[in-house]
Amino acid sequence: MVWNLLKKNISAGQIAGYAVANLVGLAIVLTAIRFYSDVRGAFSDGDDSFVGSDYMIISKPVPLLSVMGGGKQEATTFAPDEINRLRSQPWVKKVGEFKSAEFDVGAYIELGGRRMSTALFFESIPDEFYDVSPSDWTFDPSDPMIPIVLSKDYLALYNFGFAASRGYPQLSEELISKVPISVALAGNGHYDRLPARIAGFSSRLNTIAVPEEFMQWANMRYGTPGQPVEAPSRLIVEVSKPGDPAIERYFDEHGIEVGGDKANSSRAIFLMTLITGIVASVGVIITLLAVFILVLSIYLLIQKSREKLRDLILLGYSPGQICRYYYRLVGLVNLVILVLAITASAAASLLWRPALAAMDMTGGSILAPVLAGTVLMALITMFNFYTIRRLVMRAAC
Amino acid sequence: MQKINSITFENTLPAVFRAVSGDSAIEHSDVWLSRCSFVRPGRYTVEAASGTGKSSMCSFIYGNRHDYDGTILFNSTDIRSFGIGDWCELRRRHLALLPQEMRLFPEISVRENIMLKNRLTDFFSEQEIKNMLAEFDLLQKYDTPAGLLSIGQQQRVAIVRALCQPFDFLLLDEPVSHLDRENNLIAARMIMEAAHSRDAAIISTSVGNPLLLRAGDSPGESIVEIKL
Repeated sequence: MVWNLLKKNISAGQIAGYAVANLVGLAIVLTAIRFYSDVRGAFSDGDDSFVGSDYMIISKPVPLLSVMGGGKQEATTFAPDEINRLRSQPWVKKVGEFKSAEFDVGAYIELGGRRMSTALFFESIPDEFYDVSPSDWTFDPSDPMIPIVLSKDYLALYNFGFAASRGYPQLSEELISKVPISVALAGNGHYDRLPARIAGFSSRLNTIAVPEEFMQWANMRYGTPGQPVEAPSRLIVEVSKPGDPAIERYFDEHGIEVGGDKANSSRAIFLMTLITGIVASVGVIITLLAVFILVLSIYLLIQKSREKLRDLILLGYSPGQICRYYYRLVGLVNLVILVLAITASAAASLLWRPALAAMDMTGGSILAPVLAGTVLMALITMFNFYTIRRLVMRAAC
Repeated sequence: MQKINSITFENTLPAVFRAVSGDSAIEHSDVWLSRCSFVRPGRYTVEAASGTGKSSMCSFIYGNRHDYDGTILFNSTDIRSFGIGDWCELRRRHLALLPQEMRLFPEISVRENIMLKNRLTDFFSEQEIKNMLAEFDLLQKYDTPAGLLSIGQQQRVAIVRALCQPFDFLLLDEPVSHLDRENNLIAARMIMEAAHSRDAAIISTSVGNPLLLRAGDSPGESIVEIKL
């Protein structure tokens, strides 16, 4: 009955205007979020090289004099204060140091009746920086077996460069993991041959990696006693905002090189984040304008109904009772807008999902836009309710 | 909130009268700038010329205007201490008002206008409301928009609406200014019965056409004339 009275002052045109404007704004915001979540999700799919975007392996350029083997050499290692300064950068999440072997390493492989041997090097980094999780990634001196993680690039180099030109068989990851390897370790008056196995292949690490536990044990045993621990010449850095221009600027200023194409893929993600952010901001601005339209409509509506509201309150109706009728209207309109905006963002995602599928990428879930839309709409609705309450109270007094 | 047994004006003066507070009309008023109590279940008629503050007095008591100096007490509580929630409760259960301008909603029917009030406390059944309208010879207008009624008819509908709730005090601001003697008598009888059944007081203002109240049978239901 009260609603029959109040609805006579409601302008359907104003409500429809708000609904369309808010729908457009919210749909743009949710579509941008969906796009970001899909593309970002695709980048994080499996063991893809894009994963490396959040991690960067950095080193210092080798100076010319070092190559010539004369003169005073510039350090290619990172001093502790340099590492601490890097750690304190706002875009740095974690920094890991590459530890090098301080002894000689040789590897022997029996393959198809042929025996191959090569001099090798080992490095280790903290376990948390691995993109693969190899089984039994430990080392026990009483039952020695050295697990090794190889760079995928090395296998590719062998398969498509070396093996192809020499007529050697190409090797799969599975096969090479089964090949028995023995490793000769020498230094400090010790010489041992220990069994080893390839435990995994990494697309992030461009090295031959062994567990830190092994490296500590081996450096103690085969390293030169009393020699100071050498500063790391390579660092692995996990960054919070891949592609942030501040990262590139910092590296340039400090003469640091980034390994591989990580900097480029980081830049691609940064650009994508930037563009998505701009699109989402436009959506937010449209949504805010729509909310402004609604607040204006509510203001006009309550101004028009001021006398009625006052009379209802004089009859004994509380402002809360009257507000509830407007809450219901605004709540219903906002709910419909939310559902339509989520549907629109889901429909829009059909535009790019086939392209992602063609690249064998699965994309993100619908959860992100649904959650963002619900939170945004809840905030808008609460603001609307607050406005209604304030205006009705003002009319009541 | 407890029942209102008395309404007391203590040295009260509408803000618009500040400039003329020495005026002889105000000096001789029973209400303004003096101490005046309305006690339940009395029947008070307030007779005064136009512009002397009758509607202001009703509005102050009903809490929809606060532009006065001095104090108004319900029992012993200063009404300035009431919030909007208190006033809503008072208007549902303790105070009923028939404003001079009636304040019916012209676009909705007689039935809806009355039910808007009645549904707050479900005080009367629909049949009882119809019976009251029938006494005023308005039953045939039950579904007619209030805006299409004559002023006299609107006044009778407003009287019925004012009675659709429990109350301790019934404030009637020129309730029969547009009614003939016959309808005045019907209204007076209906109002007195309603007040009697609720053990309530009546405060009725007029400018020359008073509601024809009679003293009731119960002690305290005497007619008291107040000069404003």
